[in-house]
Amino acid sequence: MTTILRTKGLHKHFGGVLAVNDVDAEFKANRLRSIIGPNGAGKTTFVNVITGKLPASSGTVLFEDRDITNRPPHRLVRLGICRTFQITSIFMGLTVYENVRIAAQSEMGGSFRIFSAKQSLKSVNKKTWEILDRLGLTDKAGVPSNNLAHGDQRLLEVAMALAGDPKILFLDEPTAGMSPAETEHIARLIKGLTDTVAVVLIEHDMDVVMSISDEITVLNQGSIIAEGPPREIQENELVKEAYLGHA
Amino acid sequence: MSTIAIVVDILLNSLVLGGVLLIVAIGLNIIYGLSRVMNLAHGSLYALGAYAGFTLVATGLNFFVALLIAPVLIAVVGLIIERTIIAPVRKRSIVYTLILTYGLMFFLDGLIKYFWGNEPRFIELPEFMRQTVPILGTHYPVFRLVTLVITAAAMIGLMLFLGKTKLGVILRAASTIPEMVSCLGINMTFVHVGAFALGCILAGIAGVISGPLYTIDPIMGHEMLISSFVVIVIGGLGSLRGAVLAALLIGLVQTLAEFFITDLAMVIVYMMMALILAFMPRGLLGEGRFE
Amino acid sequence: MSKMDDRMSQAGSGKKTPYRLRIVALLILVACLALFPFVVTNRFYISLVNEMLIYGLLAMSLDVLLGYTGLLSFMHNAYLGIGAYVVGLFLIHISPSSLWLAILAGVAATSIIALPVGWVQVRTGGLAFALLTLAFGMMFYTIVWKWYDLTGGDDGLMGVPHPDIHLGGIVLGHSGSPTAMYLLTLSMVLICFLVTWRIMHSPFGAVLEAIRENEERASFVGINVRRYKLYGWMYACMLASVSGGLFILYRGYIGPTTMSAFAGAGVLMMVLVGGMGSLWGPIIGAGIFIFIQDYISTMTEHWELFVGMVVILLVLFMPRGFVGLGDYVTRFRKE
Repeated sequence: MTTILRTKGLHKHFGGVLAVNDVDAEFKANRLRSIIGPNGAGKTTFVNVITGKLPASSGTVLFEDRDITNRPPHRLVRLGICRTFQITSIFMGLTVYENVRIAAQSEMGGSFRIFSAKQSLKSVNKKTWEILDRLGLTDKAGVPSNNLAHGDQRLLEVAMALAGDPKILFLDEPTAGMSPAETEHIARLIKGLTDTVAVVLIEHDMDVVMSISDEITVLNQGSIIAEGPPREIQENELVKEAYLGHA
Repeated sequence: MSTIAIVVDILLNSLVLGGVLLIVAIGLNIIYGLSRVMNLAHGSLYALGAYAGFTLVATGLNFFVALLIAPVLIAVVGLIIERTIIAPVRKRSIVYTLILTYGLMFFLDGLIKYFWGNEPRFIELPEFMRQTVPILGTHYPVFRLVTLVITAAAMIGLMLFLGKTKLGVILRAASTIPEMVSCLGINMTFVHVGAFALGCILAGIAGVISGPLYTIDPIMGHEMLISSFVVIVIGGLGSLRGAVLAALLIGLVQTLAEFFITDLAMVIVYMMMALILAFMPRGLLGEGRFE
Repeated sequence: MSKMDDRMSQAGSGKKTPYRLRIVALLILVACLALFPFVVTNRFYISLVNEMLIYGLLAMSLDVLLGYTGLLSFMHNAYLGIGAYVVGLFLIHISPSSLWLAILAGVAATSIIALPVGWVQVRTGGLAFALLTLAFGMMFYTIVWKWYDLTGGDDGLMGVPHPDIHLGGIVLGHSGSPTAMYLLTLSMVLICFLVTWRIMHSPFGAVLEAIRENEERASFVGINVRRYKLYGWMYACMLASVSGGLFILYRGYIGPTTMSAFAGAGVLMMVLVGGMGSLWGPIIGAGIFIFIQDYISTMTEHWELFVGMVVILLVLFMPRGFVGLGDYVTRFRKE
């Protein structure tokens, strides 16, 4: 199975605080990896460094064996690394349709056309409808996205990330603030994504994590303390201590 | 004059200018840090402070008494402004607060012109401050030395306030983690009003001491505003230490530039700001944070 | 499918006026404007509407920057000024009869200046960007003011010749004639409006809007935010320089006041009054502003007070400007 992305000796510190401590990780194609850990473990920081939102203090990030450390986010998206955020980050003033469409346009090209109507990019439109369909947002396409319910906004963000044709997708707490029904829906959806994409999930909802993950990585205070399939992690003493114990 | 005398002159003038810049810039920084409002009217409040000082002295008050009263007056003005105009707009996007305070700047400038007219004004200083003191070959005005003392006193006072008093500590906490402060049950309104009032007090102090230093005219606020932006940007937004460094630097550059090529002095300052902002967006010390 | 795509792309409540109605409205408006100088033959009024159109173009260019790309500029008038000075100097020193060449020179020179400025400015975020526009604007103002030998300093650039307006060898009029100049301005502004409208509703314009909505998200869908901001900036400055060229052809004179911070606030106000993000709103806003400014020009002493107060009131109570009035009306009628 091919490794899509790998980190070697990744460090990130803020002033005196070491948020990511010597992390070596490997993400393989078509697998769903969850990253879990208590609050402040460095999960989001880790993903932020990989996806270009923060510069690494040291270490490397390799994408398909190419060094991509500290490249700007828009380049990484072009390569096929897409993500969603912990706090929903979408284009609030635009419709659901336009949110996805612009992401698709950005991926497929056409941004230099200044004299045609933006609706005229047929293949972009087609892809947009496909993605909306896949995420179940078709009937909400014309709604301004700031009018959407929270759960739908999270779905929209996933749709936008998908529009970038990713090879690997990082989802930061996608189920945050969702009802149980919505959570189940998105969990199934995310699992389905592994047909085409490697998925990396940061999550706190243990039911979701245990049910859909192929592998789990546990972080605590910036370091990996355990890694393996769900069953193993569930029985791991160190993990239990990290969550319940004293940090 | 000997070279040493000239150098001493320039250095002292840089310190004086830097000091005034620092007080204004820190006021701006505090308002921004706590309320996320970039107060473009700050220069006008500074000018208002100078005019208030002028009027108070003209009615016979001692300069130092005016120095105490004027900033309070400006703070009151600031309070009114904050509650009536700024509070409703604060929650909206930063574009609107910027435009709002920009409009406020013109409003205050117009107000100044309306009440005091266009001609420059001067503050009458007590006799002993109008004299000069010989320092290493140059004769340096006593008032300027007094200004340095006042600036230092203001800075120390500010540090004590922020560091030791309960109010000050709350304000400091609010600048780092605003959400936490409101969780602790502290009224955010107090924080916003307090920040603005504090900024106004500082602007007022700077205004009053600027009176005798530089001319008092309706446009004195404009250059001060831009210069204090430059200080904040170069020092890094939110970084108090950076502001000190930047204020001294700008004070020096501006003084030197005015000595050698008067006309283009400000142009050079602007270019410095542009370059630093472009290549070191977090300021000289890398501590700033722009949104 | 494409009609649905059309509607889906428009943000908003779906209460948009139908396409055809808007085109008819535009045609009627243009016709009225075109006939205006023949109906109202008073020079003064023709020049007034001429000035409204020129500032309308400037306000529209600021709307491209602010309403579409989300970048605030406090002194966009600086680029009208630079354009005007260059065109003026070209006509005075190089060729008093080449109208189009002069305008081209103005646009080119402004672009050359705007490029490094823009490059520096787009490296920063919203607030810093706005502050930088203020700093650079003040810098240009100071340079123009002090460089007496070139610009005439405080006195301004005087005695700019009025070339003939020619197209393909045929002389259509003389730029000194108010009516001819008016029609030239109207045509240029109309062309610029149509081109800008097309560009803003193109895939390129969609990218700018995405940047306006959420810069971070834009970069995380693969948009090179800095580069596109720079494109938006350059386009806005070029439009501004066109308005500068029209300005000096119309007036034959320009002084540093046109490039002051106060004038810059005026342009911002035009966009606010008219309504950001519509392109045509700011043009109306410019019309309103110029009209009022003219009307109250006797009160020049307290002009600042008035402008400041209006800006404050606008931001507090009418942030969506003229364009937003439509919403107020429909809401009113519903109740």
